Amino acid sequence: MAAVSKGAACGVCGAGKCKETLAAGIRGNNPVLVQAIGICSCLAVTNKVENAMVMGIALTATASLSGLFMSMIRNITPPRIRMIVEIALISVFVICFDQILKALYWDMSKQLGPYVGLIITNCILMGRLEAFALQNPPMLSLVDGFSNGLGYALVLVFVGCVRELVGAGTLLGMVVLPESLYQTNLLFVLAPGAFFTMGLLIWLVNAFGPRKPEKKP
Amino acid sequence: MRADLRTVVFAALFGTICAVILTVVGRWAAPHRAANEKGEEMRNYLTALGVPFDAKVSAGDLISVFDRNVRVGTNGNLVLYTYVPEGTTDPEAIAVSFAGMGLWGPVKGVLALEPDLKTIRGLRFYQQEETPGLGGEIGSDWFVGQFKGKRIVDDSDEPGFKLVKQGTTPDRNSVDAITGATMTSDRVQNMLQDLARKVAAERMNRHGRSE
Repeated sequence: MAAVSKGAACGVCGAGKCKETLAAGIRGNNPVLVQAIGICSCLAVTNKVENAMVMGIALTATASLSGLFMSMIRNITPPRIRMIVEIALISVFVICFDQILKALYWDMSKQLGPYVGLIITNCILMGRLEAFALQNPPMLSLVDGFSNGLGYALVLVFVGCVRELVGAGTLLGMVVLPESLYQTNLLFVLAPGAFFTMGLLIWLVNAFGPRKPEKKP
Repeated sequence: MRADLRTVVFAALFGTICAVILTVVGRWAAPHRAANEKGEEMRNYLTALGVPFDAKVSAGDLISVFDRNVRVGTNGNLVLYTYVPEGTTDPEAIAVSFAGMGLWGPVKGVLALEPDLKTIRGLRFYQQEETPGLGGEIGSDWFVGQFKGKRIVDDSDEPGFKLVKQGTTPDRNSVDAITGATMTSDRVQNMLQDLARKVAAERMNRHGRSE
């Protein structure tokens, strides 16, 4: 993808990089389909559309905020400990988010269960901080985090739809294929279903999808 | 050398800031969390016992509903939660809590029985970390809904309860297990069997005293 060089864009998106950055995470440089990061959680939380949606939203929020703050301290962070700083920053966000949910939005927190904590381990977060936020201004990094989160969320929801429909015959818990007509397929509820769906999806997108030419900086 | 010093100073400062933020948020959230967790437990007891309450009430109100309607008594190693509706004296249901290891972590739940201590009135799991979509289904309405009206004794009054494979017809003291979650189903079955034995002992105890 087009790397925005240091100082090229203004504080917000003077050079018109916002749209470009936003589109990159969703299409040309989708974290799951093209960069192939964040696959682990993609396999874990996609057995139901609902889980996929919630995880997608939570990751988008964390990716945006951590991008913004990492970019703000990028010039004073010693390069040697930058990765530890990145992880600490992500963890602080996620733990605060988890605590606030548990205190004020108990029902939602119950629904999310262990997924909130798992956000910390998502490669997309650290990957984007390393690849983007360390070289780009804060607002643009926020856009990058948001777009990568959204790109991840879209893939997650798509895989979730396929798995829930094929596996249980339902969508968002509503019965689409009644059990009298459709033999539910446990394979798709279990982890192998995710491997098949993800593998096929990555292949299809990379073989037939619109290919964006790599731009030279 | 200067770079090293800068790194150490930055790490110390950054670490301190993170620690302060986490401490402040954690301390602020702790009482809210504790109240919510307590309320959640109460909600499960009340639901299992069939105590009527407004689904949208706050955690604090749940505790007061619980205190007005439920009497807690310990008998041996069994804690009994007796539902005596406000303004009456006859127990309408009796609940016992149980706990055990699931596949991934502790499973805690509450089993409500009719006053005969044989017929199930309701079952709820209020803590579990089973696989979402598989073992995690023990928390779902279809699974716990099957238990209502079942008995924790077999036809010859021996204590016992079974989770049977889906497709076989469950009898008076068995329900459908969860397909794809044999490990969780087995463990839940063991917990319920263990509980059925404890309740049977409590039943004998009561009869012994009343005769």
